[in-house]
Amino acid sequence: MMDALMGFDPRRVAKFAGLGALFLFLCWQHVQATRIGYRVESTRREARALRSRVADLRLKVDETMAPAALAARANTKLGMIPATPSSLRSLAVNTAESGGLLPRLWARLPLVGPQRS
Amino acid sequence: MDLGLRLTVAASLALAPLLPLGARLAYLQVIRHDKLSTRASGEFARTAQEAAPRADLLDRQGRVLARSNPSWSCFVDKAMVKDANAFGARLAPLLQLPASEIARKTRAAHRFAWLKTKMGQAEYQKLIEARVEGLGIMPAQERVYPNGDLARGVLGLVGAEGKGLAGLELSQDKRLTGRGRRMEVIRDGHGRTIYKNVSDSGDTPDPVRLTLDRTAQYLAEEALREGGEKGQFKEGIIAIQDPRNGEILAMAAWPPNPLRNPLVQDAFEPGSTFKVVAALAAVDDRIVRPDELFSGENGKFQLTNGVTITDHEPEGNMNLSQIMEKSSNIGIAKVVERVGAARFYRLARAFGFGAKTGAPLPGESAGELKPLSDLTKVGLAVSSYGYGLAVSPLQMLGAYSAIANGGILWEPKLILDGKPPVKVRRVASERAVHEISAMLEAVVERGTASSARIPGYRAAGKTGTARKIDPLTRKYSTTAYTASFAGYLPASSPRWTILVVLHEPKGAYYGGLVAAPVFARVGSRLLALEGVPPDRPTDPALGTARR
Repeated sequence: MMDALMGFDPRRVAKFAGLGALFLFLCWQHVQATRIGYRVESTRREARALRSRVADLRLKVDETMAPAALAARANTKLGMIPATPSSLRSLAVNTAESGGLLPRLWARLPLVGPQRS
Repeated sequence: MDLGLRLTVAASLALAPLLPLGARLAYLQVIRHDKLSTRASGEFARTAQEAAPRADLLDRQGRVLARSNPSWSCFVDKAMVKDANAFGARLAPLLQLPASEIARKTRAAHRFAWLKTKMGQAEYQKLIEARVEGLGIMPAQERVYPNGDLARGVLGLVGAEGKGLAGLELSQDKRLTGRGRRMEVIRDGHGRTIYKNVSDSGDTPDPVRLTLDRTAQYLAEEALREGGEKGQFKEGIIAIQDPRNGEILAMAAWPPNPLRNPLVQDAFEPGSTFKVVAALAAVDDRIVRPDELFSGENGKFQLTNGVTITDHEPEGNMNLSQIMEKSSNIGIAKVVERVGAARFYRLARAFGFGAKTGAPLPGESAGELKPLSDLTKVGLAVSSYGYGLAVSPLQMLGAYSAIANGGILWEPKLILDGKPPVKVRRVASERAVHEISAMLEAVVERGTASSARIPGYRAAGKTGTARKIDPLTRKYSTTAYTASFAGYLPASSPRWTILVVLHEPKGAYYGGLVAAPVFARVGSRLLALEGVPPDRPTDPALGTARR
């Protein structure tokens, strides 16, 4: 009699509890989605700020490496002058071919350290 | 009364007031659902689009010539501003603009007006934190050129809307323009953005690699700037091409102007640099023997009644090589008479004169070549020494490249896109081209272009000096000239074709005196830069230079 009055039916309770849990899960999911949405947005802004900073730094590097800037620094700070072709001296890369007997023998010696592949 | 009925009536009475509410709810939720939903989402849902990045422009070695940097622009929404003066005063320290200017822009705006563009990250952050009502901020992309004015005539210009306005920025606009990322976002009650999802991931195009060499470009511009700043000429251009494949390595102009590229858009009367056409036609068809002599008429030759051709120096008998060395107008006029109008015209066309070269730059000039029917005795003679016609610098550069490489005319290549260079045609036999090449070497060795010599290296080329047409009188000026030199080096195995054109030089005006030294200067720097070994190590001048 009491059971009927209180409507206590374990299966019904389980159903309501399940529905309640689902409702709570959906609410939680919505809250989480919103929270993550805020975070994504703030991270996106941060990423954009960092990208902007990287771009600024890259620009500074490029500006510093610009030929006009390099030439000005080489001229004023280092006292360099442009080379003429006749002032250049070419050095042979392979001493074994260009050198005498000793360099040739030296070049034939096995390497001391492990060879890199 | 039955208890059930009483309960039903009581419940009905209690619920009766809810009926209109339910009806209203049904009306709003069912009948007007779509309309209201759209309106609601319009209130808080947004599509945010990031500014589309524009592709980088790189030189042939991958060094940046133009790049897009993230920036911000801010604007005023006049409808949301109550007091323009207060608005201006609040923003002035943040934007570093006078308050009066901001107030004036606000008052003048219909509803919207830009207040400042190209803002950096720091300024943007300050504005975000300030939360000024009526102020909007938009992300943008700023086009930057890290090398300053270097190659700006080629690169061109981008407008405030991010569209190319001139140069490669205009001609390659589609290829350079990216698509910004689009995102669905919603805004909360405080106006803060909540990310929802990416609706379009956007597209950043790959960088466009040019054939230009940043260092060669700098060397060319430096050579022009020095003369230009000293007032040695009014305008000047230098173009450098690789004769082996037609790749353009440098296009420099003085004064620099990103909206105009005279190397492509302008045409000029070339003067004696055009003499190679008549000479090559004569050699190619074996019309003139190498040892055949032509009288220089002591510097004055009456071609027809009333038409006299003069040379700057009186000359006696000359063979073709000497005609080129001394740049004799009389000699070349006699040669071209033998060649004939048809052959001369055909070869000029074969060199690409009178037609666009196909360079991927806007506003290319085709130059002007007289039609064959206009090449009368006088017309043919003056054309042979480069008068009465107009060529674009790019055409002249291509023609000398064809001579440098043994007779192949290449389409000028400006973009390294992985496609092989386009061979336009063979202009003349290899034998004839080699003979002309030897004559051009003699021009530098002992002719009018001796100041183009570089100790230890063989160079070849031809000088040109032409009177300019006075725009007021429409006659040839006696004071304004165009001095030019077109040549290549090292002549044993040409790597660079260099064209120097100086308009209205002050003082000395002969191409050999003003343009040829510029060629030598740029050429020697290129040789040193690339470490090219001398192709004439026994040059006596080499020892002098080394000491």
